[in-house]
Amino acid sequence: MAKVNRAQSTSPPDGGWGWMIVAGCFLVTICTRAVTRCISIFFVEFQTYFSQDYAQTAWIHSIVDCVTMLCAPLGSVVSNHLSCQVGIMLGGLLASTGLILGSFATSLKHLYLTLGVLTGLGFALCYSPAIAMVGKYFSRRKALAYGISMSGSGIGIFILAPVVQLLIEQFSWRGALLILGGFVLNLCVCGALMRPITLKEDRTTPEQKHVCRTQTQDFKRGSSYSTLTKEWVQTCLCGSLQQEYSFLLMSDFVVLGISVLFMAYGCSPLFVHLVPYALSVGVSHQQAAFLMSILGVIDIVGNITFGWLTDRRCLKDYQYVCYLFAVGLDGLCYLCLPMLQRFPLLVPFSCTFGYFDGAYVTLIPVVTAEIVGTTSLSSALGVVYFLHAVPYLVSPPIAGWLVDTTGSYTAAFLLCGFSMIFSSVLLGFARLVKKMKKNQLRFLAKESDPKLQLWTNGSVAYSVARELDQKDGESVAIAVPGYSST
Amino acid sequence: MRALPGLMGPRAPLLPLLLLCLLAAARPSLADGHPSASPFTTPPVREETMAKYSNLSLESHNISLTEHSNMPVEKNITLERPSNIKLICQFTTSGDLNSVNVTWRKDDEILETNYLNATGSILYTQYMFTIVNSKQMGSYSCVFGEKKEQRGTFNFKVPELHGKNKPLINYVGDSVVLKCKCQDCFPLNWTWYSSNGSVQVPVDVQMNDKYVINGKNANETRLKIMQLSEEDRGSYWCHAIFQLGESEEHIELVVLSYLVPLKAFLAIAAEVVLLVAIILLCEMYTQKKKEHSDDGKEFEQIEQLKLDDSNGIENNAPRHRKNEAVGQ
Repeated sequence: MAKVNRAQSTSPPDGGWGWMIVAGCFLVTICTRAVTRCISIFFVEFQTYFSQDYAQTAWIHSIVDCVTMLCAPLGSVVSNHLSCQVGIMLGGLLASTGLILGSFATSLKHLYLTLGVLTGLGFALCYSPAIAMVGKYFSRRKALAYGISMSGSGIGIFILAPVVQLLIEQFSWRGALLILGGFVLNLCVCGALMRPITLKEDRTTPEQKHVCRTQTQDFKRGSSYSTLTKEWVQTCLCGSLQQEYSFLLMSDFVVLGISVLFMAYGCSPLFVHLVPYALSVGVSHQQAAFLMSILGVIDIVGNITFGWLTDRRCLKDYQYVCYLFAVGLDGLCYLCLPMLQRFPLLVPFSCTFGYFDGAYVTLIPVVTAEIVGTTSLSSALGVVYFLHAVPYLVSPPIAGWLVDTTGSYTAAFLLCGFSMIFSSVLLGFARLVKKMKKNQLRFLAKESDPKLQLWTNGSVAYSVARELDQKDGESVAIAVPGYSST
Repeated sequence: MRALPGLMGPRAPLLPLLLLCLLAAARPSLADGHPSASPFTTPPVREETMAKYSNLSLESHNISLTEHSNMPVEKNITLERPSNIKLICQFTTSGDLNSVNVTWRKDDEILETNYLNATGSILYTQYMFTIVNSKQMGSYSCVFGEKKEQRGTFNFKVPELHGKNKPLINYVGDSVVLKCKCQDCFPLNWTWYSSNGSVQVPVDVQMNDKYVINGKNANETRLKIMQLSEEDRGSYWCHAIFQLGESEEHIELVVLSYLVPLKAFLAIAAEVVLLVAIILLCEMYTQKKKEHSDDGKEFEQIEQLKLDDSNGIENNAPRHRKNEAVGQ
């Protein structure tokens, strides 16, 4: 066993097969995010065929989005336990089945189940494992790789929207759904591309299992006989899950989670309410549509260029800061939006917002990887995208309600702006606190043992920190070497 | 047709006075929907016929022409119900108004009566009539002059149906609803026709399990065709019947079998299976290659370690160097 590990474990290749993984992830993003957005093109057809109003048909899109995000942790669990390839291929088959069954639907409820739940579940099984895989294959050029992968969303919508329209014209919505199901089957190709790679960090997994077993033995000695067996069974079963999700107890990750909640709350209403806002201040329909196109295109540009930018040596160590800078700037744009009442003012707004929207989307996996390391990245991303689900669902209706009650868009946009600024300020604050703590314990280490001064290359400061952490009650089951380098 | 000189000649001095009196008398009764009140009164003969249709609405329409207009001026009028019509043409010229020849025509057929008046340099002419049936619909024109004609045309049409230009695509066994809607008009009746070659054949509404015609409002009609088959494809027409005529709309129905998109789907599925097979085969091949070369490396490394173990700790530095040399 150790023989194989030693032979196959490598450092992230930063190229070679990694670019095929990026291509695979790019295709996954197209097949999941872009197809989700393109489902709204079918709404007019569904409305006429099933004689329902817009609100009923719009539920399909909400269900797909919600299920994709809510089941993201399930996706990472499946890919961790089976394998990334099998997980994504399974997701592809499921999503494709959902679309194919949807083409035979005879009522809107059928579409909710097939197109909504089944396809959403399939997408969830693909999305976070694919993104996690990119993180495993890249370290030096991680942000650029993520930028290229995430740009699939914008480029996909650009290409798929007219294609779907054409399919509907040629084959009507039933045929179009069938062919779209075939297109989504390409997720299986992406799954096949995701060759597993064992990194040096993954070598620690057998040691961790040993640590957990010794912990259970301690438990045995400590408690009474009847509860002993129960606890032992529980810890055995939950052992692996505990391991996988131990990052949930990390204070850094909790802070990230809370900030993601606020950020997701803030960013989603703009795509729904920009066009109505523009129309309300007197911009024409074509100009409003143009604003949305600018937003989409600049989003793609922001994805790739910001990824490349933050991989430069000067910014490499400050990726976290770049992330919260991008989120904060988007929040500021929101605050300025109620003052922009003419088309020539809204264009630079679209450009700025779109650019930084693409920017922070690229950096979410990078920042997550920084905090939890690459072994737990898949599960962590699952949780991060899970936290996106409820704000995405809740935020546009709340903004709509605010617009209806106050009569203007100011309140809604201010709320979103403050939400995003709070998210970035929270992250910045947490990072500051962490830095202060580190400086403090380095100071303590120097003071306590003069001999140890020779060894302060970070490793002893780390061991002192470990003791301090144990006193604070934080989990120390993970001994990831990469952790101390942040 | 009376030439202008005949009317104007002997009575020339009295005419302005007469005009003024007529103006004063006619002003109140000519205020319907016409911004520039025309200086006419209705002649006695006309009034009798008008009384018969006095419950109908009155519509006035106006065309202005100059002697320099290159193109004939046309005005399209949509008429749904029978009504009284008043058409007025005014002609502006710098030359002699008396020498201008005025005629009213319907589709090149010259019409009887003709009322003229001239004030300053503008010549007014009016034609009043009633439209009660479809034969009276068409184009009415006022023509000024003989050599160089200036023509103003009023085109009367029934309301048109505006529909989708795109064909409806459906599949065999499905059901489809063909809709016809009239924007601001209310036809008396709707009928549906399907095409049999180039002939319009009425849709057989007796077949209740195949065709159902209903409409929510008076201004729309729906034809539901169930259990579609390949023979149902083609053109369908919906006719809106008015008192004054008919207008129709054409709808194209395309019926596809499931095989059409299925072929595209199977093509994509075949491509996916092929790619997956190729990628997985490549992966297995590269893994086997790696395993072979790694097995060789592993064997050498183990052998080297065995040798080095027996040497002892003093050979720390040489051991590292040897391993590196062997490992690469």
